[in-house]
Amino acid sequence: MEKILVVQPEKCTGCRTCELVCSFVHTGEFNPLRSRITVFNFEKVGLATPIVCQQCSVAACMEVCPVGAITRDEETGAMLVSHDRCLRCKMCTIACPFGATIYDPVSDIISKCDLCGGDPQCVQYCPSGAITYQDPIKANLAKRKNYAEKLRVVYEEVV
Amino acid sequence: MQIIIDGKKIDAVYGDTILETCRKADIYIPTLCYHEAFGGQGRCRLCMVELEKEGQKKMVAACTYPITEKIEVRTSTPLIKKTRRNIIMLLYKRAPNSLLLQKLFREYECQDNSLKEDPAERCILCNLCVQACQEIGSNAISLIMRGTDKRVASPYDEASEACTGCGACALICPTAAIEMVEEGNKRSIWNKTFELLACERCGKLYTTKEQWEFTAKKNNACASDRQLCESCRKKAVAEKIKAYQAAEH
Ligand code: SF4
Ligand code: FES
Repeated sequence: MEKILVVQPEKCTGCRTCELVCSFVHTGEFNPLRSRITVFNFEKVGLATPIVCQQCSVAACMEVCPVGAITRDEETGAMLVSHDRCLRCKMCTIACPFGATIYDPVSDIISKCDLCGGDPQCVQYCPSGAITYQDPIKANLAKRKNYAEKLRVVYEEVV
Repeated sequence: MQIIIDGKKIDAVYGDTILETCRKADIYIPTLCYHEAFGGQGRCRLCMVELEKEGQKKMVAACTYPITEKIEVRTSTPLIKKTRRNIIMLLYKRAPNSLLLQKLFREYECQDNSLKEDPAERCILCNLCVQACQEIGSNAISLIMRGTDKRVASPYDEASEACTGCGACALICPTAAIEMVEEGNKRSIWNKTFELLACERCGKLYTTKEQWEFTAKKNNACASDRQLCESCRKKAVAEKIKAYQAAEH
């Protein structure tokens, strides 16, 4: 089974390392604005959490794309954009309920998490283990089961 | 099946075009009107290659010629090089104001001549914009008139109801011939002026109302009443997580 990115906000320190790593591996530049993962820091309540593409099973980006430029990678399960096919109509950026699919004007491409081809670098470099890459069954297990369930409700509500 | 390209045996899929086969095999053929999303159009003729079949030679457009039998293809013979140079020269004379054509004119070492030109013209009539608009499902523009008057336009050169102002035509145009102007909260393209949609939370202008509605019609997910830019959509999710976290502790 495909693995998924699991975020545990209770572990995130808001250091934004993931943003920098993501931007660097995808654009060669340390620019959080070009990162595909975004950290939100709620300083008053002492909470931070990264937001990243969920690689939805029914993906709005894929559904609206008029030319089939967004497809699921069979191995990793990531929704990938074929930049040669893409028409830059930007409908996918409007449709994504998480705002996780964006247009990068610098490179003139639709930019979204591609799970780094199966070795997500945000996971590698997160110093506090707040982002893990694991199979969905384990991710839902035990202690976090309850919480994961709630997150799912959150996501579904947003959708 | 196998065909011969530039003297090498190359695997080809029956029905694939010569261009697709060459791209898979990393053999370079220049193109201007080809796009992955809808394939070859045979309009610009820059992809011409030489083909030999049963001892007969002819030139064909690689982007539209399907491989259905044993053929031998040559992609850069002197004749092909000369033909491409001529095509670039003609396209340049058609659109001398295009930076891309100016660059190609130099690269292909073309000679200028006395053919009449319109110094302001940038469009090479490759039809990519029309095709993109059609794929998207708007059909707001088309090629009109014939011969030397041929051009891309919205119906009667008026604001087309179908145009959503997405700007894909301007982005796909290889010669930057389509003008899309943004001023304040207005975007103008193809004789139509759109009011840009402001994010309900941060006020960022992120699309046109028409495009938002067009997308919403295609996908119910975004048909929620909220019109948020990408950043504020992310933020909204983060805030929900915050609320749940707070409830946990
Ligand atoms: S911008 Fe590209 S990937 Fe996104 S919907 Fe349009 S054609 Fe598809
Ligand atoms: S790319 Fe083949 S005719 Fe334009």
